[in-house]
Amino acid sequence: MQLTKRVPGELRLGLMAAACALLVQPAQSQEAVTLASDDEKPLQVDAGVLYYKESAGRIQSYDAIVTLRKDFGDEHILGLNGAYDSLSGGSPTGAVPTKAAQTFATPSGTSLKATNGAPVTYTTSSGRKVAQLETVTVYTVSTGALPLDTGFHDQRVAGDLSWSQPFEQNNHVALGGHLSHEQDFQSISGNASFSRDFNAKNTTLGLSGNAEFDKVSPVGGVPVFGSDYTQLLKGGDRNKQVTGGQLGLTQVLARNWITQLNLSYDSSSGYLTDPYKIVSVINTLGVATGYRYESRPESRSRRSIYLGNKVALGRTVLDISLRHGTDDWGSSNDTVDARYRIPLLGDDLYIEPHLRYYQQTAADFYSLFVSSAAAIPTYLSADPRLAAFSAKTVGFKVGMKLDQDNEVSVRIEAYKQDAKVHSSTLAGLSGLDLNPSLQSFICQLNWRFNY
Amino acid sequence: MAGDLAVSMRAAQLCAATFTAMSCPCEVLIETADAQAARRLGAVAAAEAWRIEAKFSRYRPDSIISRINASGGQPMLLDDESASLLDFAARCHELSGGAFDVTSGVLRKAWRFDGSGKVPDQVTVDALLQRVGFGRLSWNPPHISLPQGMELDFGGIGKEYAVDRALALVAMQCDVAVLVNFGGDMATNHAPATGPWSVGVERPDTDREARLLLDFAAGGMATSGDTHRYIEVDGVRYGHILDVKTGFPVVGAPRSVTVAAGSCVEAGLMATLAMLQGVRAENFLVEQGAQHWCLR
Repeated sequence: MQLTKRVPGELRLGLMAAACALLVQPAQSQEAVTLASDDEKPLQVDAGVLYYKESAGRIQSYDAIVTLRKDFGDEHILGLNGAYDSLSGGSPTGAVPTKAAQTFATPSGTSLKATNGAPVTYTTSSGRKVAQLETVTVYTVSTGALPLDTGFHDQRVAGDLSWSQPFEQNNHVALGGHLSHEQDFQSISGNASFSRDFNAKNTTLGLSGNAEFDKVSPVGGVPVFGSDYTQLLKGGDRNKQVTGGQLGLTQVLARNWITQLNLSYDSSSGYLTDPYKIVSVINTLGVATGYRYESRPESRSRRSIYLGNKVALGRTVLDISLRHGTDDWGSSNDTVDARYRIPLLGDDLYIEPHLRYYQQTAADFYSLFVSSAAAIPTYLSADPRLAAFSAKTVGFKVGMKLDQDNEVSVRIEAYKQDAKVHSSTLAGLSGLDLNPSLQSFICQLNWRFNY
Repeated sequence: MAGDLAVSMRAAQLCAATFTAMSCPCEVLIETADAQAARRLGAVAAAEAWRIEAKFSRYRPDSIISRINASGGQPMLLDDESASLLDFAARCHELSGGAFDVTSGVLRKAWRFDGSGKVPDQVTVDALLQRVGFGRLSWNPPHISLPQGMELDFGGIGKEYAVDRALALVAMQCDVAVLVNFGGDMATNHAPATGPWSVGVERPDTDREARLLLDFAAGGMATSGDTHRYIEVDGVRYGHILDVKTGFPVVGAPRSVTVAAGSCVEAGLMATLAMLQGVRAENFLVEQGAQHWCLR
C-alpha cells in the first residue's frame, strides 16, 4: 500500500536531521583509507640549530636541539629531547665602568695548594672551611669600559624524557625528567602533571608539580658571600633545590577562540648566588676602592599569573598572552607577547611576526655599586639581570611545508634590553654608562619531519 | 580489499558495473553507453564499498569495530568518520526510545536465523541482555569506551551508509543518472532521461518474483525484511529483528518494509524502526509520513 500523507512525523524529522549530519561529512577518497587516530603514528623528529649573539663582544652561543615524539597510539606519547649548547664571550661581572683602568682575576685560578704544597684553608665565622686560591690569572678592563669576564666559555648538554597518556575517561597524566650538565652546573629534575577534560572537552583543568635539584661547582670554587674580592675566599660545591606547582584552566570560548589561565608558584632554596658576579665598592668621589663578591638570600619564592589566547581570524591565527610575576626578592615583572600567523600561498607557507615587551623592577638588594662610606649590606648584587629594565623583542618566523611529512622554518629575532638606572652623579662616574643596553640577535633554523 | 568488477550493457544507454561487497551482490547502474567510463565509475563505488566494509565490518579482525569490541573497556579515540557513525547510532537510539541499538548484536549468540527452528531458553537470553544497551557504553566524542563483554555492530547502518557514500563519490565525477544498489538498499542522484528507475521489490518466500514495481527518481530506498532470515517454531515465525528489551524477535512485524526517503541511510533506518514496531509497523509509517510499501 502506498500512502499519500507525507507530513513528516517528529521521529522522522529527527532521523532526517541525523542522516544529514552523517552524510554532510566530506566524502573519503577511495584510495585513502583513513586510519583511525588511535593507530600508531610515525616518529616525529624536530631538528634545529640556533645561533645567539649579543652585541659588544658579549655572549654568543650555538645550540643544536633535537626533539623526538612518538605516538604509540591512543595518545600514548613518548617524548625525547636532546640539546647541546656552546657558549662563549664576555659576561658582565657586575662591576661598574670607572674612569681608571680596572684589573680583575678570572675565576679559573684553580690551585688549591700553597707554594709549599700545603692546602690553603680559611674558616668562616660560621665554622665552614674554605680553600683559598693561590694563583690567579688577571685581566685589565680599560677606562670607561664595562667589565666583562671575557674568558667565559661553557658547554651544556641536556636531555629530557617524557611520557603522557590518557587515564580513564577524560583524564591525562604525564611524567617527565630532565638532566643537564655543564662544567660548573649539574641539574636533575622531574615533573608530573594531571589534567581532566570537562564539558565535552571544552574545558580542561590541569595540575602539575616539579622538583629540581642542582649542584653548583663554580670554576675556582664558591666565593664566600659578600667577601672582599681580593681575598679570593672560596669554598666547595653548593646545592640548590627548586619545587614548584602550576594550576591551569583551558577553556574554549568560541569556535575560533581558546584561552588559558595559569597560576604558578615555585620556591627555591640553597645557593642562589652567581659565583662569578661581584659588586664595585665606590667611595664618595666615585672611585672604586674595591670589590665584593655578591650575596643573595638563600631562598626565593615566585608567583605568576598567565593569560594566553589563541584566536583564529579567518585563516590567520593570533596568539596573544599576558603574564605578571612577583617574587619575595621584591622584584615584579610583566610580559606582553603577540604572534600572528599568516598563511601565504595556500597553507604550505606562512609568516609569523612576533612582538614581545617585558619589564621588571629591581630586586631589593640590587644596586649598581655599594658605597664604601656605609656598612656592606648582608645581601648585595649588581647583576644586570636583577636590575630594573625593560626589553623589546621584534622578530618573525617563516615556515614552509615541503610535503605532508616535511616542514622547514626560519626564525629571526632582535632583542634590546634597557636598564632603568645606568648612571651616577658621583664625579668619578659621571658621564659613564654604568649599565649599558644589551642588544642581541637570534637566528634559528628548524626542520620537522616524520620518520 | 580489492575484488572483481564486471561491466555489462543493460540497454542502449545503460551500463551496469557489478561486484560483491558486504556479503551481497552490488551493482551500479549508469546512464551511459560508454563501458570504459562505466567501469571507472563502478570502480569508484566498489572501492568505497570495500573501504567501508574493511573499516567497519565486525568480521574483519582489523576493523575499527573489531578493535572497539576487543578494547576490554579501555577508552579509544575515534576518527571523524567513525565518530559520525556512532553519533548517528546514538541519535537513532534516542529517537527510537532505545529500540534501535547498535550493541544488540550479542543477542545473535542465542539466535540462529537459519530456519533450523531452535528457540533459546530465557536464561541464555537474560544473560546476554546484561551485555546489551547503548546506555552502558560511554560515548564522549571522540572517546568511546565499551565495557568488557559488550559488542558494537554497525550492520544496521553500514550498508546504507556505503550506498550514500558511493553515490556521492560517483555523482561527483559525472552528470548522468546513477543508481547504486547494494543488496537491495539503493540511492540515485536523479532519474535517467527516459523516466524514473523501476525498482522491483521481491515478495518474501516466493522465488524471486517481483511483487511490486516501484518508480524511483531521487534519494534513497531501503528494505528491511525477514525474507530469508527467520526461525519458525510451532507455526510462530520469529523474524531476525530482535527487541533489545526482551531479547526476543519482534512479533507481528511485516515480512518486509520498503521505505523511500531523502537518503538510503534515512530510508534504511525508517524501515528498521518500522519493523521494530511489530504489528504497528504500518501505523508507525503513516504517523511518520514516510513513503513506504509493506508486505505481510
